[in-house]
Amino acid sequence: MMKLIAVAVAAAFAAPALSQDKPAPPPAWHQGKPPAQAESKLAPHAGKMTETPASEIPIDKLKLPAGFKAEIWASGLPGGRAMAVSEDGKKVYVGTRIIGRVYEVTDEGSKRSVRVVVDKLTQPAGVAMKDGNLYVFAIDKVLRFDGIAKSSDVKPVDMTAKFDLPKEQHHNWKYVAFGPDGKLYVPFGAPCNICEPPSKEYAQIRRYNADGSGKEVIATGVRNSVGFDWHPKTKEMWFTDHGRDWAGDDGPQDELNRLAKPGNNYGFPYCHANGIADPEIKKQDACKGVTRPAALMGSHAAVMGVKFYTGKMFPAEYQNTMFLVRKGSWNRTKPNGFDVVNVRLGQDGKATYKPFATGFQQGADTYNFWGRPAYVHQMPDGAMLLSDEQTGAIYRISYQRPKAAAKKQ
Amino acid sequence: MLRKGRWAILLTAFFSVVVFSQERIQLCATCHGPDGNSPDPKIPSIAGQPKLFIETQLVLIREELRKSELMLPVVRGMKDPEIIRLADHFSKLPSRGMESGNPDAALMKAGAERAQALRCGICHTSDFGGQKQVPRLAAQREAYLEAEMRAYRDGKRTGGDTIMAATLYGVSDADIRALAHFLSRSKAPAPAR
Repeated sequence: MMKLIAVAVAAAFAAPALSQDKPAPPPAWHQGKPPAQAESKLAPHAGKMTETPASEIPIDKLKLPAGFKAEIWASGLPGGRAMAVSEDGKKVYVGTRIIGRVYEVTDEGSKRSVRVVVDKLTQPAGVAMKDGNLYVFAIDKVLRFDGIAKSSDVKPVDMTAKFDLPKEQHHNWKYVAFGPDGKLYVPFGAPCNICEPPSKEYAQIRRYNADGSGKEVIATGVRNSVGFDWHPKTKEMWFTDHGRDWAGDDGPQDELNRLAKPGNNYGFPYCHANGIADPEIKKQDACKGVTRPAALMGSHAAVMGVKFYTGKMFPAEYQNTMFLVRKGSWNRTKPNGFDVVNVRLGQDGKATYKPFATGFQQGADTYNFWGRPAYVHQMPDGAMLLSDEQTGAIYRISYQRPKAAAKKQ
Repeated sequence: MLRKGRWAILLTAFFSVVVFSQERIQLCATCHGPDGNSPDPKIPSIAGQPKLFIETQLVLIREELRKSELMLPVVRGMKDPEIIRLADHFSKLPSRGMESGNPDAALMKAGAERAQALRCGICHTSDFGGQKQVPRLAAQREAYLEAEMRAYRDGKRTGGDTIMAATLYGVSDADIRALAHFLSRSKAPAPAR
């Protein structure tokens, strides 16, 4: 079985009055919970599995910089998160986790229609498009729908055997994308909150040829990355990574990382964030040889999708900057995240960020939220789509230069 | 004329929703009890369950992610707005204990201890009334609780979060029986959470 952190877990969860013959492995998200937090009521937020009508989404609460506007572009996609778009921008494919579906949203000009492409899968969160073919990654299955944008009833090709998927499920729901090298990039998260992974197949990012051949591990020590993109000029890969839980409200921050060369180690499980040695999983020189993040993105903020902006619609200052989505914390007394931030690169290789889209909570210090932003995607016209996993909706964020004469305030 | 026609359509739509929902509620009541408190020990009471919990379970069963041969024909093809209406209806009904006979003192004591040791109250709340996607356990049918806890432990009830399987991992049949006895006889808290 998994070499979990048995000591802390046993201390927190041991139930001496029970006639259990073996210690219970706690749910993966519970692992690493210290005895001091045994009575903590913090737990992952409940998702919503039913359709939220557009009329019940308070889109006017979303706050954006001057000149930007958000509208509900599509709704009725419960659990919708990562998006892949057909070349002409008319079809958007959307993955989910628990509800097990992949949606197809068709842009009909003034409105959008939604259909289910495939369902009953185990967390088909990963979707990617290449040469007109849709790739769907569930935890235990890989399907390819050839030419789907043109023929909606296409039967999928089962490519599972080519990708060598490991068996543990936790943190193995995926974000997938094709890089500028034409390869398919696939993360394999650590199957726990904090542990020595049970085998070498976890806590890494791999790339493959589009047909699943040529497997190559390009990053190790990556706890749970569910978002990445490539710099438009340097072609370097940038990826988000979730920090560990149950190490306090201000525990190791989430990361934005740069992959300058394949083979980098990002530290998990021994070294977190900007060089914090793990309090439980110990190793001498825990942070030696570990690539540090380009930016720390906040404790428990849940960094999700990240995209470089290359469109012409937004002001020039956004050119080649990143939009990064923080779905929002659960393992923290006070919330963190629940926003989209704009990340800019400095000369020193480090990055800084400031809020871009906020207002998903009713008050910054409360977990009373109406939405949980997940992914962004740039459309051919330069507008940006933003998916909301809680409302099962996609918002369109556009920009119109304020006319000096029409300026109010 | 046009205006009249539109009213007719609206009225028809309104009444078909109401009538249709009433029919569905009747159908649920056939097994789960007219007031949502189940007369059948193997079938769960759904009165006063958290709304989000009922919605989530109906979706999981409809999507065949939670396997239920009995429920699947009922929810197959059911649209989300109706699931939400049904969940809203049953979540607002008061729940009451349906077990008869005197509680077994030894089982009650053992069950209370085990519920404490397993920290059921952290998610199911301290009065076992449930919250959000987490079900009410208090005043649930004993035989149903026992069967479902065993199914979780043995990997036969899947589809949602893995926390229940992990919590009950290695828990003995006797302990599960005690938990079911204790929880089924815990006082039902007020609904509408």
